[in-house]
Amino acid sequence: MDPSFDLPDSTDWLNTPLSLLAPLESSLRCQVCKDFFNNPVITSCSHTFCSLCIRRCLSKEGKCPACRTSDQELKLRRNWAVQEFVEAFTNARPGVLDLAKKAARGDVGLEQPASKKRKVEHGEDRESDSVGADGVRTRSRSRRLDPQPETGIVEAVEDSQDEDFIPEDGLVACPICNKRMKNEAVFRHLDACTGSASPNKSRNLGPLQVSQTSRSPGNNTTEKPPGRLPTLNYSILKEGVLRRKLRDLGIPDWGAKQLLQKRHTEWMNLWNANCDSKTPKSMKDLLRELDIWERTQGGHAAAASAFAPPSVMRKEFDKEAWSATHDDDFKRLIAKARKKSEEQVRTTIPKMEELPSESSKAAADGPVTNGDKPESPRLPSAFLGPAEVASNSAPSLGPSPNPEM
Amino acid sequence: MASTVAQKRLFTEYKNLATNPPEGITAGPVSEDDLFLWEALIQGPEETPFEGGVFAAELKFPRDYPLSPPTMKFVGGGVWHPNVYPNGTVCISILHPPGDDPNHYEHASERWSPIQSVEKILISVMSMLAEPNDESPANIEAAKMWRERKSEYDRKVREEVRKGLGL
Repeated sequence: MDPSFDLPDSTDWLNTPLSLLAPLESSLRCQVCKDFFNNPVITSCSHTFCSLCIRRCLSKEGKCPACRTSDQELKLRRNWAVQEFVEAFTNARPGVLDLAKKAARGDVGLEQPASKKRKVEHGEDRESDSVGADGVRTRSRSRRLDPQPETGIVEAVEDSQDEDFIPEDGLVACPICNKRMKNEAVFRHLDACTGSASPNKSRNLGPLQVSQTSRSPGNNTTEKPPGRLPTLNYSILKEGVLRRKLRDLGIPDWGAKQLLQKRHTEWMNLWNANCDSKTPKSMKDLLRELDIWERTQGGHAAAASAFAPPSVMRKEFDKEAWSATHDDDFKRLIAKARKKSEEQVRTTIPKMEELPSESSKAAADGPVTNGDKPESPRLPSAFLGPAEVASNSAPSLGPSPNPEM
Repeated sequence: MASTVAQKRLFTEYKNLATNPPEGITAGPVSEDDLFLWEALIQGPEETPFEGGVFAAELKFPRDYPLSPPTMKFVGGGVWHPNVYPNGTVCISILHPPGDDPNHYEHASERWSPIQSVEKILISVMSMLAEPNDESPANIEAAKMWRERKSEYDRKVREEVRKGLGL
């Protein structure tokens, strides 16, 4: 409801007359990233996730996050129906939500003659403020206007296709360069096609548009980007071999084997998820995403092991890093222990009695800051740029090779 | 675009909790500059010795959240409970990734999965306060007391709650 919360979310529908759309929207969102399904794929246990999300989960756990059935990347299949739901819903969403919010605010009057309704509909479909002035019954408005944005979409799609099919000349377009030619000529041409764009494609209408035109004719089955990357059995690969593989793939090849392995896995996930996309990104975009990963979780990330106590249990537990990051805690504990032994007053469970008094200050501060927050939520700046991500957590250990591995 | 999956997801959860909070639970990032450190307030469940108490906890999220779970630590003290370490760290199966099972007793189905959420963790912790699991005591003294001297346990918890509220 707060305008500063500009990340769309299913709770946007709550407190509007269309609150029943909240569960609908939730079901169109991936349970892992909570965003709308992006290149949805279905697992062998019939759960749907974004291609990238489930690939990352599987490479970490090998199990479906929803039901914990073991699954493999190879078995993932695209889920076109869900993709279409999501596209249709996200296209309709802004307009519908706008109306719903207006209705919730009461801008939209309750009893109005039908004639007015019609006028509004013709006048504008998503225009915001004038709608309120015209005042229309909420229910009928949303019902009537629901299809409105939709038809808009349909038209838009047709438009873009129209552009593709402008010439009604009985010719067909080469699936690679889009050049138009006689049906019989296509196959011959394909052998020689260099893939350079025809003048037809020169209309540069932003990334969306361009990719749309390039894929729209078929169901993108004809032109497949370079094949998927196979999983590697890292344990049988020597470090040098793995490094060469990374270099061959065109991704950074520095760091110890463990890092190379993690980087390769991330790249494989990014790459293969991109293969599931109707509108694949360029290699450059993927490299940028890998770079974000590098800075947050890869070799440029700060020691993530600092938090995550489960790592204490692991064999490769980094003792130095742990003692470095928890130095303060240890010092405090030692000081406390000394003080206690000097006092020698209480003998039973003295730790618990000291703790509250000492940390109650922290607790007193806590709730106050927390209480303020919901009133003035601004977009956290960390959200805007990755720069802080790397900088805000404890000492950077860099790509420390682990002797035990 | 530059934000990571973890940040986006944390922000979504934050927004979700702010607009539609479950009863007795408040949570959000401590500072908006760092979405990976949260603070949560949990009300003591009714009809338990924790009733009336408000417990502050700190949640730390790993960079690969939600693939890995956050950690949770009570910061106000006063949580005398079999599944809470004396330093406040909460030991509950939903916070443990399925890969490692330090206690060898947890069902995989109870453990962390990327489809869990902050909200689910906090609700689980709330019900943990009401019903301790003494199979894996993090605070052995508290577990013994809870098992063998229930009334003393209840009294001690109430005392800690009052202390925590500054009474």
